[in-house]
Amino acid sequence: MSTTALTVMPPVTRRVRAYFAPVDRVNQKPAIFDPSSSGQFSLDAPLSPWIDLGWIEGFTRQSTSKYAELATGMPATTQYQMRESVDATVSFRFKTWSKLSMALSAGSQHMNLLSPAVGATANGSGSKAVAPVNLATGSTATLLAMAASDAATFTAGSMVAVDVDYAGQTGFVGSGISATYVQSATSVNSDADYVRRVTFNVARVSQVTSNGLQLAQSLIASVPTSSMKVQPLLGFVDREGGSFFQEWSALFVMPGEQGERILFHYPRLQALAGAAEASTPLVAPLERIALHASFRAMPVTDANDGEQVVCFRSFLPSAMTLI
Amino acid sequence: MENAKDTFYITLRNRLTSVNPNRTMLLRAVRRPGILVEEAEAPAAKLPLDVFVLRWTAVEMDMQLPSMLVRMTCEIHYTTAGTQANGGLDRGRALEEMDAELLQLLSPMNAQKMNYTTTQATAMGTDVFWTVPVFDSVKTLRDQLSRSVTVTVFVFQEQGEL
Repeated sequence: MSTTALTVMPPVTRRVRAYFAPVDRVNQKPAIFDPSSSGQFSLDAPLSPWIDLGWIEGFTRQSTSKYAELATGMPATTQYQMRESVDATVSFRFKTWSKLSMALSAGSQHMNLLSPAVGATANGSGSKAVAPVNLATGSTATLLAMAASDAATFTAGSMVAVDVDYAGQTGFVGSGISATYVQSATSVNSDADYVRRVTFNVARVSQVTSNGLQLAQSLIASVPTSSMKVQPLLGFVDREGGSFFQEWSALFVMPGEQGERILFHYPRLQALAGAAEASTPLVAPLERIALHASFRAMPVTDANDGEQVVCFRSFLPSAMTLI
Repeated sequence: MENAKDTFYITLRNRLTSVNPNRTMLLRAVRRPGILVEEAEAPAAKLPLDVFVLRWTAVEMDMQLPSMLVRMTCEIHYTTAGTQANGGLDRGRALEEMDAELLQLLSPMNAQKMNYTTTQATAMGTDVFWTVPVFDSVKTLRDQLSRSVTVTVFVFQEQGEL
């Protein structure tokens, strides 16, 4: 049996989809995407640990690597080239706002606005919070088991942060994803709620029962531990400034109209700019507000040849086209 | 999209009952607020007088969002010949009155989306919202003055919604 091959066609695509995965900051291990084994993954069901951030707009890659030449002779002619530096940036806009897209585009720590305690002193990133609720045994990634009296303090539709108490530790904190770096207990006022203030382990409550809270989405850190507590949150806040750099692994996919696929994998991305928005007019004065995000690519070592690289571009051709 | 269209109409209809409870019409033997959706009534050669008529025209969809954003154009037509008591000499005032009423009907420019296909109407998770109205110039035909107003209505499609 034989099949006639098709002549090469230019890739035609209409949009770019973004996936992010947390970098293990403690062990300095990025998430590695292998296009040879996973390149044709279902766009709606990315493999773990990749998180679907949806279709993005304004996707722009730029290589800022610098080259130098060695010229000899009279007149001088370039005999050799060398790379002086390897550098690359990538920028785009998230179409929708969520904990993750806002945090990725914020450039620094991203915080949860915990429900304030009565009479708490006003503060720009949220004041002292209401007391957290203990978890009971039997919790899952989508069910927070707790006493009926505690569950009754929440309502369906509310949002919650689920994480451990801050207990004076320094270094990266946050379950599932390193949310920030604590330099000292005094810098965070030894606030027992601090980890829940920055954690990515948040979800929307879909139902309140006598057994606990049913969540509308899975917790990013999966099944909660018994030491975690639950606090209601009202929204999110980020700041211009701050000392922390988020670091994420990223994968961008351009699905082609003929079944081909272009993939861009950045194992390590750090924010290149502070928070910014971009507006797209609908019908004046209505505007759609997107989150602008820009990153610098950091290097990893390719296990195949030991080269230091910052980005992998893969191309999976459509069926039966000549290559 | 049907939920959004229904919500927009019912919202304006309910607001009309408080803005001007006297603007009513007799339609299919029932006294109702003076606003109707053209595509939901029997075809008619002429628009009824002193009634707001909603006509849905263009529709566009942004499918690159997790929840599709739909924009629909609604033309609102109304015609008046003034009152018989004044021999139609008040038709300009009558039209201006309808202009002012329509502005009130359209404000605030959003409403919670409802599903009216269930026996008890059920509230949905998102809002329908719309643009400021664009008023066309007055058209005169014999003793009647007409105006067309265009509003763009936006709605996010919810999961499983038609």
